[in-house]
Amino acid sequence: MKRRSALLAGVALSVALGTGAWAQDKPTMGVVVKIGGIPWFNAMEMGIKEKGEELGVDATMIGPTSADPSLQVRAIEDLIAKGVDVIGVVPNDEAALEPVLEKARAAGIKVISHEGPGLKNVDWNFEMASATGFGEAHAKLLAEKMGGKGEYAMFVGSLTVPLHNAWADAAAAYLAENYPDMKLIGERYGVAENVDESRKTALDLMAANPELKGFLAFGSQGPIGAGRAIEERRKTGEVFVLGPFSPGQGREMIKADAISGGFMWNPAEAGRVFVTMGKMLVDGTEITEGTDIPGLGVVSPDVENRDIITDNLVTINKDTVDELADLGL
Amino acid sequence: MTRLRNALGGEVLGLIGFLILVVILFGLTAPRFLTAANFGSIAFQLPELGLLTLAMLIPIISGGLNLAIVFTANIAGLTLAWVLNTHGGVDAGFEWFVVGSLGALIVGALAGMVMGLVIAYTGAHPILVSLAMMIFLRGLGEFLTKGGDISGFPDYLRPLGHGLILGIPVPLILFAVAAFVWHILLTRTRHGFAATMIGSNIRAAAYSGIHTKRTLTLIYTLSGLMCAVAGILMVARFNSVRVGHGEALLLVTVLACFLGGVDPFGGFGRVVPVVIALIVLQALSSGLNLLGANQHLSTAVWGLFLIGVMVLRWVAAQIPKRRKG
Repeated sequence: MKRRSALLAGVALSVALGTGAWAQDKPTMGVVVKIGGIPWFNAMEMGIKEKGEELGVDATMIGPTSADPSLQVRAIEDLIAKGVDVIGVVPNDEAALEPVLEKARAAGIKVISHEGPGLKNVDWNFEMASATGFGEAHAKLLAEKMGGKGEYAMFVGSLTVPLHNAWADAAAAYLAENYPDMKLIGERYGVAENVDESRKTALDLMAANPELKGFLAFGSQGPIGAGRAIEERRKTGEVFVLGPFSPGQGREMIKADAISGGFMWNPAEAGRVFVTMGKMLVDGTEITEGTDIPGLGVVSPDVENRDIITDNLVTINKDTVDELADLGL
Repeated sequence: MTRLRNALGGEVLGLIGFLILVVILFGLTAPRFLTAANFGSIAFQLPELGLLTLAMLIPIISGGLNLAIVFTANIAGLTLAWVLNTHGGVDAGFEWFVVGSLGALIVGALAGMVMGLVIAYTGAHPILVSLAMMIFLRGLGEFLTKGGDISGFPDYLRPLGHGLILGIPVPLILFAVAAFVWHILLTRTRHGFAATMIGSNIRAAAYSGIHTKRTLTLIYTLSGLMCAVAGILMVARFNSVRVGHGEALLLVTVLACFLGGVDPFGGFGRVVPVVIALIVLQALSSGLNLLGANQHLSTAVWGLFLIGVMVLRWVAAQIPKRRKG
């Protein structure tokens, strides 16, 4: 009996401590990303931390252990319980997040998303690249490398990542219109968030299509995986791999021509924008036509769809890769 | 105290001890752990994992495993989504939800029954059979949905996933009912007894007159049925269905079963300790999230926790032996 009452006292004590310790006025923010522990989101975390310190926001990033939408839902539920002021999210699956984001906003939490243009329950969604601009930039470069003719294949992160598919749509449409001699092989392969799957799919495709001359891989691990496949088959210089990837991870590969190039935006910058916008929302700063948001530039927001779309592309090639990689990307 | 121990079993007391430890630890370190909001969050997150764990529990007790639970749930969810979408989508009447749910339950039970029949009549190992079923269901689902998601459901689904009745989350009520049914099934019915006996020694069970083949088929059918319930709940929770929703939960359900004292080799397992184990796991995960810990760290903590429990269990088993000696 004695032991039990001691236990109860312990619980009571911790309740008292627990409720008392929550007295700080720094705004808090949690950003739930697609998956933790990969370079892209490590860089984003760096940006979030950095800007958080600068602006006095208690900002943390949460990266689930796998790209399963249900893990993102769980992380957001916990953030609502934590009582943060702002939730940021880079969605794996937009539809799966709507109910929980609605719950967050009902609890008075501001919601910012990145790479989620279709989300409805957000205060703002921001993009560092417009879908058409990004897709076409890659398509142009691929056409240039392939000499405007030949077969190519396309990878996306997952068939449910709307943005990757929008890039793929834009790239395919551009090539179909401007380079009728270039032919897309097969369907889109949803492998580009996974190095091994990208490598395997690229090997299979090259085996099945000897005339294949190019890979457009939209997804951070796709170019790396496809590039490895090219190296294994000793097809560097014959088959061209293009797509956005992390420069640090692909530095040697782009120098060895296993990857021919790509465009990206800076995930660390995206992390900084998350915090900047979070602070603006908490402070009640209106974002309207012509507002200058550090990291995005002067914006013209789509008020109806709550989208802020900008083109802040960074080219990755042999000359720029070192500089970008040294930034920790 | 002894009476309490007898009523609940040492397993339950030990786990409750763990739970209290976890609550105190996070109560002291995570400022918002002991709040209604956090317990609400735990209560909303627990059920989908809980239902899947129940689906995993019976096969494990019978000495098998059902690796197809998540994809069975997805396929069942897809069935419901398909019925709703072909009958008006957002405007589908409530009767179509009932029809869709029935369809989902039938599909889930069928998937389970096929597995059960193969396991019972060919004698193939449950891991192989359920793995094959998992790959089949996943491929089928991805083919049917083209890897995309189906969304746009009527509003009345929302309360099922996010609503409260008398302050209790609806999913939690659903889970409590399911757990209670499972408890009764395992402790008070002939089938539950037969499942345990098969897990202990399938040959002895067969010689003592238990229709082992029929029981095995029923075990996996019930497991599939519970998956379908989880699938329906996931439709309501996420307002969308996609093959792969909840994929990461598969091994967590196995972890919860073992943590709850279910014998990995079959023959022993009870619902109550498994439910408490689930609460412990969810409290750990939510607590670490509140602390802002890395998600990979929380996976590591789960693993460490399981190892710790194994060691403690071994220690506990040694004590009475020493006394005798």
